[in-house]
This record gives sequence, structure tokens and C-alpha cells, in this order.
Amino acid sequence: MNAGIGFKLSHLQSMLLFALLISIAFGFLSRRRPIERVKYIAWSLFLFLLIGVGIGWAMYPFSR
Amino acid sequence: MADETAAPAAPPQDSRRETMAYAIGVAGWLVPGLGHALMKMWGRAVMCFLTVGMLVILGAGMRGNVFSSGGDDAFDSLGYLADLGTGTFYLVARSLEANGADVSHADGDYGTRFLATAGVLNLLAALHAYEAARGRKA
Repeated sequence: MNAGIGFKLSHLQSMLLFALLISIAFGFLSRRRPIERVKYIAWSLFLFLLIGVGIGWAMYPFSR
Repeated sequence: MADETAAPAAPPQDSRRETMAYAIGVAGWLVPGLGHALMKMWGRAVMCFLTVGMLVILGAGMRGNVFSSGGDDAFDSLGYLADLGTGTFYLVARSLEANGADVSHADGDYGTRFLATAGVLNLLAALHAYEAARGRKA
């Protein structure tokens, strides 16, 4: 029987991977020139992480 | 007297282009990146294939929920629609998840989001390919 594949990722690793993959896809779909794509990917990744960590800290007072 | 309110018939060339655009959109949905590849947009094609593929592999590897058609509530049905967005990769996700979903841990919950995001992202890419095939700036 196929045992399948398995990954164990932390919250931070999951968020980083998610943000990186989505930023790359958005960058390639929305921009044509390579330099514009790189800028868009970097900016999008930064905003993903900033907002993700920001929401995490905003929820912290209610977590216990 | 002729009916002046009727829309003029579309020229055959436009009709053919529209049919091609539909075909490209469906191809992009079935196999991530194929729509762009048919229009020789190689960079976008490769990136669509890789990002959607990575999200599906990670989502299934984290034992996320791959929804099936027999959902109990609206969220299950919406999840199924999102998962179907990956096209043939939906079957890949099902085959990779031999041990079934496990959303009792954060990993599985993240995996469910990864899979749904892969589907929605692929639908967005297929729509992008369709619009590009219709001649819109892309």
C-alpha cells in the first residue's frame, strides 16, 4: 500500500512557504518585465509577512 | 422590415478567436500552466505549473482535507469547488494522501488552505490565459 508523503512544518515555515509561492505566482501573472516581477514579488512577500505577523500579534491578547 | 435591434453577427474570425480562448482557458484549468504554454508564454506557464504543483504536494503532504463531492455543508461544497480548481492535480492530491486527511493538528489545517489556494490560484491563472487569448493586455 502506498504510504503517501508527509511534511512536518512549523507555523512560521508554513506561512513563509505560502507567502513565497503566492508572491511568485502573482508576480509572474501580473508583471511582464523581469525586474518588475522581482520588485513585485519582494513587495508582495514583505506585505504577506508583515500582515501575517501583525495579525498574529493582534490576536495574542485573546489567546489565553 | 429588418429587425434593427438585433446585434450584428460576429465576424467568423472573432468567433474562432473566442472559441480558441475558451479552449485555452479550459486547458489552463485542466493542467496548470498549459493555457499559457499554448500561447508560448513559457515563463508564466512554468511558474503556474510549479507553484500550483508545490502547493498541492505540500497541502497533501501536510494531510490537508481534499474535499469530495458528497459534502455535508456549504463549506465542504465550497472547499470541493476550490480543490477542483486544480484540475487534474485534484487527482494527484487524492492519490498522494493515501492515509487520509488529519486536521486535528495545525499541519493538516494549513494543508487544507494550501490545497484550496492552489485551486483558486489555478483558476486565476486559467482566467488570465483566457483573457490573454482574447487579446486583452496581459
